[in-house]
Amino acid sequence: MSSVPTRRRLLATAALAVATAMALAACGDDATPTNNNTALSGTITFWHAYSADSQEVKTLETVIIPAFKAKHPGTDVKEVAVPYDQLHQKLLTAAAGSDLPDVVRSDIAWVPEFSKLGLLEQLDASMPDFQQFASKVFPGTLATNKYKGKYYGLPLDTNTRVQMYSEAALTKAGVTAAPKTFDDLKTLGDKLTGTGVFAFADNGLSGWNVLPWIWSAGGDITDKDYTKATGYLNSPASVSGVQMLFDLYKKQEMPNIVLGGTGGTPTSDGLATAKYATILDGPWMYPIFAGAHPDFKLQVAPVPAGPGGSVSVVGGEDVVVVKQSKNKALALEFTRYLLSDEAQLAFAKVGQMSVLQNLDVVSVNPNYRAFVEQLKTARPRPVVPSWPKIDDLLQKKLQSAFKGDLTVQAALDQAATEIDTLLAQG
Amino acid sequence: MTLDTPRLRRTRTIARIGALTAGAVLMIGPFLYMVSTSFKPNMLALEWPPRFIPRPATVANYVQAWSANHFAQYFANSVLVACGTTVATTLFAALAAYGFARFAFPGRTLLFWTMMLGLMVPGVVILIPQFLVARSLHLTNSLSGLVFFYVGGGMAFNTFLLRGFFERMPRELDEAMDIDGAGPVRRFITLYLPLSRPALATSAIFAFLGSWDEYSWAFTSINDPDRYTLPIAIAQYQGQHATSWGLVFAASLIGMLPVVLVFLLGQRHVVSGLQTGALKA
Amino acid sequence: MAVQTVVAPRRDSAGEPTPEVTKRRRRWRSGWAGYVFLAPGFALFVVVLLIPIARAVQVSFYQWLPFPGADNTFVGLDNYTRAVADPQFRLGLVNAIVYMLVTVPGQILLGLGVALLLHQRLPGRSLFRVLFYLPVITSWVVVSLLFRYLFATDSGLVNWVLVDVLHVAGHPVGWLDSRWTGIGALSILGIWKGVGWTAVILLAGMTGVPRELHESAAVDGAGYFRRTWHVTLPALRRTLLFLSVMLVIGGFNVFISVLLMTAGGPAGETEMPLTYLYKQAFNFLEFGYGSAIAVIMTVLILILSIGQTLIANRAERGE
Repeated sequence: MSSVPTRRRLLATAALAVATAMALAACGDDATPTNNNTALSGTITFWHAYSADSQEVKTLETVIIPAFKAKHPGTDVKEVAVPYDQLHQKLLTAAAGSDLPDVVRSDIAWVPEFSKLGLLEQLDASMPDFQQFASKVFPGTLATNKYKGKYYGLPLDTNTRVQMYSEAALTKAGVTAAPKTFDDLKTLGDKLTGTGVFAFADNGLSGWNVLPWIWSAGGDITDKDYTKATGYLNSPASVSGVQMLFDLYKKQEMPNIVLGGTGGTPTSDGLATAKYATILDGPWMYPIFAGAHPDFKLQVAPVPAGPGGSVSVVGGEDVVVVKQSKNKALALEFTRYLLSDEAQLAFAKVGQMSVLQNLDVVSVNPNYRAFVEQLKTARPRPVVPSWPKIDDLLQKKLQSAFKGDLTVQAALDQAATEIDTLLAQG
Repeated sequence: MTLDTPRLRRTRTIARIGALTAGAVLMIGPFLYMVSTSFKPNMLALEWPPRFIPRPATVANYVQAWSANHFAQYFANSVLVACGTTVATTLFAALAAYGFARFAFPGRTLLFWTMMLGLMVPGVVILIPQFLVARSLHLTNSLSGLVFFYVGGGMAFNTFLLRGFFERMPRELDEAMDIDGAGPVRRFITLYLPLSRPALATSAIFAFLGSWDEYSWAFTSINDPDRYTLPIAIAQYQGQHATSWGLVFAASLIGMLPVVLVFLLGQRHVVSGLQTGALKA
Repeated sequence: MAVQTVVAPRRDSAGEPTPEVTKRRRRWRSGWAGYVFLAPGFALFVVVLLIPIARAVQVSFYQWLPFPGADNTFVGLDNYTRAVADPQFRLGLVNAIVYMLVTVPGQILLGLGVALLLHQRLPGRSLFRVLFYLPVITSWVVVSLLFRYLFATDSGLVNWVLVDVLHVAGHPVGWLDSRWTGIGALSILGIWKGVGWTAVILLAGMTGVPRELHESAAVDGAGYFRRTWHVTLPALRRTLLFLSVMLVIGGFNVFISVLLMTAGGPAGETEMPLTYLYKQAFNFLEFGYGSAIAVIMTVLILILSIGQTLIANRAERGE
């Protein structure tokens, strides 16, 4: 009553309020904002490109979605598997027909393009707790969602390419360890000449294929702000990275599948049968090798280092919410759930590396160690809407060079000029 | 027939059968190899030298193809769509062919050749405009929408086929019925339809085949996995990072069974239907 | 013939139709009855094909995005001039022409051969017919994947036959690794898939050739081949024209096999106009450009079809 000084009472109330707020905030680690008591209902559709017969799909269907539905009774999530090479097209047709799903697991390379087309919900505006999630994930993975300073998605899973090698093939070269540097790779190539074994194999010349070599050589494709390619893509360092591959190819130490022909032996099959000594690939290969080549022991090493170090390329997927969605509340909630510790852990168990900084995927599966290490220095491809066109252009020019129509320098010069124009379009 | 002794005739027949067998082997060979691969566990699909008899042989691919991922549902969807398409296409094409063949009206030639234009346009390019049309008619993502578009797309060829046939039917029968008071509808039902059974069967078979094997439009317009048709399912077995050949072939072979069956049952009609002048434009 | 319960007489005393009937018959024959029968099928055709075609033509004059509310700019003939100057499109066109020049005669000649072989009463004739037609009824998706598997460089059946069985090649041929071998493989697939169809159609045409023509030619001393050349072939003229037109259309519209068998590779060397336009539209969102390519292809096919018909008619008249 009036025996307690008013000021002290106010202070006590304030302290209680602050304490309560802090306690509530501390509880909300799994991201369900405690003030969101308006019941979520309805069904949302979720498109993804997990393979039809994969563990990832099973996890989604039997673990993730049921857990989400248990948390939010009366809701449902309909998942639709779309084959990866058709997902991009399907999203476009659906956008044209205003028939898009609510949530999509999109390749990180497409997010700027879709953002520019106005198809995606701006998450840092629609989600009051966006920062909470943004701070939980690796900055590099978050950056792939940024377009014109705004965020249109959240990272879902990440991956990178590391070197995978065949011990049997290395033995044929009289070598015991996988190449650690560019010079090691060149030596391996020389040692394998005439044996019928290829030192290195890759199935294309797009950004995903050549950027690890360009970056490891100390070069780059554009400047930091993605405004210019000339002076970067055709810099001496960049050229030397590609030139090394070209020299291997010229000496027939790289197979011609690099030109994209469909008749040759795929990289994984070649590695398992000791036809290819080394390839670059991602963590999804473990179950694939286990299924198709159970006798093959997959071994990994960092990408061979050049003057720029051992730098690989970041891949992965972002989860995006579609602007046209009719049930945004539920869509956003599902997005939050996909970034929860339990969901990320469940996916980590089946080959999807988590984007959460606090989740130690190596303890989930020791095979991830090499990828986690490589991710420390890996870089993303340019986060620009015109990336698909840039990628195609780069590949075409480099393929011309490998076919012998152009020198590597000329190819990169021409590519850089044309990429400048594309970058200018934003 | 100066030198046509029985022995010469027999030699010729044997030579013919020999040549035909060689040709048939070339035609069937790829399929046989596909069957053989479908019984191999996937890791052996890339063996060298290739082996025709799989050892070990396994039905795992077939089991997985059929039971995984709602394959049976897709099969059923394909059956529904194909049957609907067949009936509707044959009916509408027969009606249209009858109109073209037996009635003179202004613009007949123009309308007919406009329809034939449909044969020349690649389906790929009008996927998006078709999708927009489908959306305004609320026919996206539905099996009946598929039937609608397949029938529309099949009009050109089947009308052409049946018109040729109807035109060659003797006009006297027509006229006799006409005199006795039979209107055009009655003539159509009691005269044309029964007599043109081979040509109708041919048309039905082509319509069935076209519907069963169609991929591009089905993939574009259907989003709901419950409504996928078989070609979509088969393409889906190509995972993101590897192709399971054994699985793909097992799924493909299961998908081929209905068309082979339909064709076997109706092939005698196809030939006689074509023979009786369905293609004499 | 059953008599309807109608009062007015149908025929006059001479057995000719009465003026009543003639008038009604004329009314039925001409005019709206035709339209009525045509209506359902034609309406569907218009909605499913004509309207989208018209839309595609319209779109070809724009820089176009298919999204509601998108900013589409009118560019006139720019897409067309761009196509004509585009080296990738020209390459695709050349590829399509070569493919057509190989597969159309290939299917017709081989189909003719098969049809001639099947034209006699033979044991197992129905079986052979079915076997030859099996590739025709199989979906393009399935056979394209199958042939990609068969033509693989190191583990493919074709190379095994060439190298280990027939010994005609020293080492495996990289079928899908270069332009012309790739188009060769595609052509083999195209011919393999179409021979049965061509054969069945020719067979049907052949049975329409009156026996008397053959017999009188034989009496005149003509052997088998001469008879075929002078009797059978001329009678098949219309059928051959039909086949030629349809196969040329099919040749230019080759799509799924390229997409799945060679993926347009290596390095875009086996790209065809349709796969190129598909990629332009769906990978790069160039719907206007893709539509322009489509219109160009359609016009080309139209010219070729009309041209073939005119040539065939002139040849027929000239005989």
